[in-house]
Amino acid sequence: MTDREIIETINKAMQDEFELSPGAMRPEAQLTTDLGLDSLDFVDMVIVLQNAFHMKIRDEKAIREIRTLGDIHQFVLNKHRELAAKSDQTTTDNRGPTT
Amino acid sequence: MNLTVYPLLALLTLLGIVLFPLGFLLWRLLTAWSARRITRHFVWLYGQGWRWIVSPFVHFRLEGLEKASLRQPCIMVVNHLSYFDTYCMAALPFHNAAFAVRSWPFKMIWYSAFMHLARYLNVEGTDWSVVAEQASRELADGGCLVFFPEGHRSRDGKMRRFHSGAFKLAIDTGVPLVPLCVAGTDVLLPPGSFRLHPARVHLRALPAIDPRQFPEMLGHLHMRKTVREMMARNVAEMTAANV
Repeated sequence: MTDREIIETINKAMQDEFELSPGAMRPEAQLTTDLGLDSLDFVDMVIVLQNAFHMKIRDEKAIREIRTLGDIHQFVLNKHRELAAKSDQTTTDNRGPTT
Repeated sequence: MNLTVYPLLALLTLLGIVLFPLGFLLWRLLTAWSARRITRHFVWLYGQGWRWIVSPFVHFRLEGLEKASLRQPCIMVVNHLSYFDTYCMAALPFHNAAFAVRSWPFKMIWYSAFMHLARYLNVEGTDWSVVAEQASRELADGGCLVFFPEGHRSRDGKMRRFHSGAFKLAIDTGVPLVPLCVAGTDVLLPPGSFRLHPARVHLRALPAIDPRQFPEMLGHLHMRKTVREMMARNVAEMTAANV
């Protein structure tokens, strides 16, 4: 998945689940003041992102620091890169030492 | 209309505040009701007084609000068009309803005591887990909760996005949810204005929705979307019929 596809997936999932208008989906949009999300929506948002990207999101510092839609984009992009790097590492490890 | 309704409403409010302590003691002696139930009863009576004051200028049409069709416990979700929407809740056939409201009425001097005595839910100033616990107790006691899931009045007549609280509570407790559609209160008192206008106010309670219809993970989001669409359709139809 490219970065652009990831951002589009996030925006679509957020729009669908939280009934947000496409025009409001700006990276600088504050989740609470601009998009009107509340504390319950934040909990749901984690599940929505987990389902959209088939990944586990734990209660980590980075998720608690999310304030804007752009922060979500960045969080998922980082997570995606992290998982890709781990997957590459596992593949290399499984191949074993080359002779 | 304005010269009649506002002075009478001010008088009703003043009389209500002054006579409430006496009425409260009297009700306490004559009934075995709790303090919250007595307060809710007086708030409901105050709403009846408001309906009587505006009745020469406002035609009320009520649908589905008969005692037999509204079973308690239930969670009601109401669309929000005007300051007077809460007053319209006097049209409910029961008085033992706890309003889930934002924090500002709890801070207003003339409302605060009543808000606390009636044990209304402060959904803005309290952690959700505390609200959910208090709400679950209300429902277990057979009461009814009233939510305005848009959070704010609609400024343009379009229904705003819904917050999840009422729907999550319905899913978690298994208590039926009743959508209550309101039309015409924005004509009576438009948002951002103090000028009253004669209006036709239409309240329509839709059939109760069993939360077990939404068993999936994040079922409350699905329920929220379904109910919002259903209410938006009904409010549009009621508004068109009112014109």
